[in-house]
Amino acid sequence: MKKTFKLQDLDCANCAAKMEQAIKKIDGVTDASISFMTQKLVLEAEDSRFEEILQAAAKACKKVEPDCTILLK
Amino acid sequence: MTKKEKKALWRILAGLVLFAAALLLPLTGVARLIAFLVPYFVVGGGVLKEAAGNLLRGQMLDENFLMSLATVGAFAVGEYPEGVAVMVFYQVGELFEHYAVGKSRASIASLMDIRPDYANIRRGEELVQVDPETIKVGDIIVVKPGEKIPLDGTIISGSSMADTAALTGESVPRELAEGDNAVSGCINLTGLLEIQVAKEFGESTVAKILDLVENASSKKAASENFITKFARYYTPVVVACAALLAFVPPIFVGNWSEWIHRALIFLVISCPCALVISVPLSFFGGIGGASRRGILVKGSNYLEALSKAEFVVFDKTGTLTKGSFDVVGVYPKEGTQTQLLTLAALCESYSDHPISKSLKKAAGELPKTADIGKIEEIAGHGVQAEINGKVYFCGNEKLMRREQIEFETPSQPGTVVYLAEAGRFLGAVLIADEPKADASVAIEGLRKAGIRKTVMLTGDAKAVGETVGKTLGLDEVHAELLPGDKVDWVEKLLAQTSEQGKLVFVGDGINDAPVLSRADIGIAMGGLGSDAAIEAADIVLMDDKPSGIVTAIAIAQKTLKIVKQNIIFALGVKFLVLILGALGMANMWEAVFADVGVSVIAIINATRALNTKNL
Repeated sequence: MKKTFKLQDLDCANCAAKMEQAIKKIDGVTDASISFMTQKLVLEAEDSRFEEILQAAAKACKKVEPDCTILLK
Repeated sequence: MTKKEKKALWRILAGLVLFAAALLLPLTGVARLIAFLVPYFVVGGGVLKEAAGNLLRGQMLDENFLMSLATVGAFAVGEYPEGVAVMVFYQVGELFEHYAVGKSRASIASLMDIRPDYANIRRGEELVQVDPETIKVGDIIVVKPGEKIPLDGTIISGSSMADTAALTGESVPRELAEGDNAVSGCINLTGLLEIQVAKEFGESTVAKILDLVENASSKKAASENFITKFARYYTPVVVACAALLAFVPPIFVGNWSEWIHRALIFLVISCPCALVISVPLSFFGGIGGASRRGILVKGSNYLEALSKAEFVVFDKTGTLTKGSFDVVGVYPKEGTQTQLLTLAALCESYSDHPISKSLKKAAGELPKTADIGKIEEIAGHGVQAEINGKVYFCGNEKLMRREQIEFETPSQPGTVVYLAEAGRFLGAVLIADEPKADASVAIEGLRKAGIRKTVMLTGDAKAVGETVGKTLGLDEVHAELLPGDKVDWVEKLLAQTSEQGKLVFVGDGINDAPVLSRADIGIAMGGLGSDAAIEAADIVLMDDKPSGIVTAIAIAQKTLKIVKQNIIFALGVKFLVLILGALGMANMWEAVFADVGVSVIAIINATRALNTKNL
């Protein structure tokens, strides 16, 4: 499943790259891409565990930049 | 400026005043330290707090931490003014970076502001504004002059002019009349229109374009990936060098504070921000600027590839030529011209191919009594049709050969449609298509842009292809190709490109999806109103002018030039200051310039990519 999420308060380009890297390492993630310019995360991950993976991704982002949150629609 | 930015600005200004006071006051000892610590905390308090937080979470090499370490270090070795100055400049740079990025983000967003906010629908006597997403297929919406057309549909009453500039970059408005298709995202200029909606909002042109543009930056270019990868190693390496510089040389030569000072310079330069921000910003600007010119690019990677275009391969019909065929000659072997034309039109009556359309147009009204039976399409050849109980073959030369029918070819060049019945040749219809007005300018422009070879692939007869090729000045023409042959030719040409060189295929997106995807970059023209084109291609030209390709390549080349300038400039300055710093020839002021100053210059340079007006 591939979904796009908006990121709030993503303030630094290097952090975006770090987050992308961290999310890609999460087990079950097929692909992840963070665009600093559009403030968006495109996450592609296993269907059955998508929710769980998304939570892990949110945690990974918090670790890099505590202000930044993934807006869950 | 946002609230957050304003707050940061005030802090910096307050810090600067206090800093100036500290510099001017004739203080010594602890009083002097305190006088400098006050502006330091006013400006850098936030940075120190974040640094502490990151340290607790194990994020050692974060920029806040590095800056804090460098400035605290400066205080430790007694360089109070430097410590404050580095923090102030760092904050000024951050603020500017934030502001510039926000600004270009907003200006690009406004370029793409084609999303309709509402649709007018009749409820009884009244017109009500509703969310376009709630409109269903078949509903009738009303668009007043000055409003955006919210959904795709057919005009059932009214006539007007439509401004398509937001979608195509074309400033000449289009005429709209009853029966025409209205495309969402255009602005209705003059008259009241009633439109029967053909697609739901999610499926409409405007939604598709928005989706495409918003997701464009998720496909990253190789140079973007290179930079983020580089940044991952750059910071740890520079920090490690700083540690070595601080502790190894003084063991042999002494003078600890001097070496620590040099190491602090390294820490200031160790942030890769200038690079990490300026490269995606340039691509984002390039993509945004292109969309203003009616060129939709689906990803930074395609823009990067396009800048390395070496071969441009065109489809002929509808791409280089108008695709509006006209019958220019009818040569019956048996019967009259009208009979031949009518028969040919009947055979092709179910086809939407431009050739079939022109036959139907020339034949006029078809006899209603005609009994059209089974029609079978023979790909790349023509059709086999059953009319009034008789089996006819209608198509090109290949079809005649396949059916082993003897035929006569008209002497003028053009596309020839042959008609035969049960092994008997009935006659031929000659159809000609004209090159588009700007096609030869486009080919010329491509050559000037450094394209090594321009090629045209066509399913048409050799004579036709070669005439068009000669008129336009193409390097190669390959004619009489079946759809599958086009893929083969593209593969052959791909093998001829140099290692870095890319092959671009330009088509109309209707019958050439396999070729579009096989080429390095597939460009579809005439995206306005054609979903097929938008979906199949990597780059979409919203209007159908071949000269758009020249513009697209110019934008790509400019963007990549800016990216390269930024990478070389930022890395060059950083390495230079690193070397000078290690040798004791640079101070912290220069280091701050190498970090923040370079960021600012790179960002300003990157925003140039957005300006595509004169390309």
